[in-house]
Amino acid sequence: MKLMEVSSLTKSFGKHVAVNNLSFSIEEGHCVALLGPNGAGKTTTLEMLASLQKPTNGSVSFLGVEKGDYRESIGYLPQQPVFFPWMNAMEYLVFMGELSGLSKAKASMRADELLELLGIADARKRKIGGYSGGMKQRLGIAQALIHEPKLLMLDEPVSALDPVGRREMLELMKMLKETTTILFSTHILHDAEEVCDDVIMIHKGELAITGSLSELRRRHQEDVIIISADGNLDEWVRSIENWNVVSKVIANNDTIKIYVKNAEVARNQLLVEIAERQLPISRFTVGQTSLEDLFMKVVGK
Amino acid sequence: MISQINWALVAPIIAIQVILMIIALVDLFKTEKTNGPKWMWVLIILFINILGPILYFVIGKKHA
Amino acid sequence: MKKWFVLFRKEWLEMSRNYKVIWIPLVFVLFGLLQPVTSYYMPEILKNASNLPKGAVIKIPIPSSGEVLAQTLGQFNQMGILVLVLAFMGIVSSEQRSGMMKAILVKPVGYSSYITAKWMSAVLLSGGAIFLGMLASWYYTILLIGDFPFMDIVKGISLYFIWILFLITFTVFLSSFLKSSGLVAAFTLLLSILLTLLTPLLKKWMEWSPAQLTNAAASLFTAGKIEGPFLIPLITTVILTALFLYLAGTRKSSLSRLG
Repeated sequence: MKLMEVSSLTKSFGKHVAVNNLSFSIEEGHCVALLGPNGAGKTTTLEMLASLQKPTNGSVSFLGVEKGDYRESIGYLPQQPVFFPWMNAMEYLVFMGELSGLSKAKASMRADELLELLGIADARKRKIGGYSGGMKQRLGIAQALIHEPKLLMLDEPVSALDPVGRREMLELMKMLKETTTILFSTHILHDAEEVCDDVIMIHKGELAITGSLSELRRRHQEDVIIISADGNLDEWVRSIENWNVVSKVIANNDTIKIYVKNAEVARNQLLVEIAERQLPISRFTVGQTSLEDLFMKVVGK
Repeated sequence: MISQINWALVAPIIAIQVILMIIALVDLFKTEKTNGPKWMWVLIILFINILGPILYFVIGKKHA
Repeated sequence: MKKWFVLFRKEWLEMSRNYKVIWIPLVFVLFGLLQPVTSYYMPEILKNASNLPKGAVIKIPIPSSGEVLAQTLGQFNQMGILVLVLAFMGIVSSEQRSGMMKAILVKPVGYSSYITAKWMSAVLLSGGAIFLGMLASWYYTILLIGDFPFMDIVKGISLYFIWILFLITFTVFLSSFLKSSGLVAAFTLLLSILLTLLTPLLKKWMEWSPAQLTNAAASLFTAGKIEGPFLIPLITTVILTALFLYLAGTRKSSLSRLG
């Protein structure tokens, strides 16, 4: 079942188009990564979905219903969560809960549950001003979940954290995705691969590729042969570019990546060539492209 | 003569100034950052009559 | 409406945590008490301060109760406004800069509730401070100088408060538009000074001026009745206040660009 459906979402600031004609949908219960390099329009997209920004064009529907504002059903963690440093965690969560429409009693109950769940119950009466970065991130998630939203949106939840904090956050997300639909943005493919089911890749505000991770792996995987050499192979590289079996060659210093249509045929042809020309090969690997390559291809690097 | 000043009238004024000073100092010690060094604000609060604590509250505190 | 009160309560909690709830009224009470005391002791202070030749007699008449209260009002109009504007200049802009505004608006809360809850708390605190300060001044004036009718005090403060209401609303309005709190204070103080200076200078042209309300309140104290224009400035001030509050509470599309 589709939880959210976005069609032709567009946001322009004057002449600059930050998000252009973006359409995708989010399945209920899935964990979805909004993937793209910095400046691709991820934050703008999330903020439009959270009703923090008005789209220039396009529409968003939630559970099949289209209205302008879905804040009651969305929990949002901004890239750099901020709090009132003079409040304690409990006060803050109750405040946010009441703003979400909960009664005071219900809000304090939820706050207790969440502080427990996120492992910061011991600090519930401490002023947030004295919290560490990791604790603030947890509190940020708690405030996003306070009103039991149908969709949890996290803007770059792991990129600013140190390795330990990053691991903790990824584990937390794995736990949360059992119960909530999650949409999170990241510029790191690895994080997306680790926790999410679906990927929405965007580049320069436009949709590049969307689909489930397994489907993308299947559809976009290519055979690739990587050759390293001790000498200059430029001339030879140019000659093999025209082979029928080769789809693309990327030469980078003394490492050559050859994307091929048929790994077996290509391997044999290449090995023959290498032997005949006595090329100074130091490494010859046959493999498959990773999503990383796909991501890089999309980003155009 | 000054000795004729009715201290019962002046005492509340002094009391308010002292309260303002104390609140300003308490706030100063609890605040992490101020505009300018903290010791300077201690001096301002303590030694600038009437205006010291007010100055601290309106321009001494760093906002957010 | 329930959410409005949640926001309103948060403003009061914040103002009590940063002691605004205490220090702002105390400052007004302090100024209110100082005015009658200095007026009363002025002749003596002068006598002691200056090295006058023996036998010289200074005759400084002690001002009337009404004059002292008008002086208090004048003091509020300078130091008081300065304090209030500086205290509330960042009421919206600082939360916009810190990102707190977004953190709140991401919850299902109306922008106008967010602004009006702030506006109302600033208005109530300022009003309370001015009222307490003026009452303190009135009490000391009675003790030291002479009686003054309580109802005239209430009327005078109420008139004067409408002028303050206008300035506070303008502060909130600018604070919701500008990122820099300093600019908010500068523009508001400039407006206040311009209106206060130009109103007596260009009497004919400035009958509508909100600053007329200060003169009306002062004349109520000194002459026992309102002199000069009063109804027209009252109407324009109320209209301008409503306009600025409306503009402040309407979400601007430019807001989204600040992220």
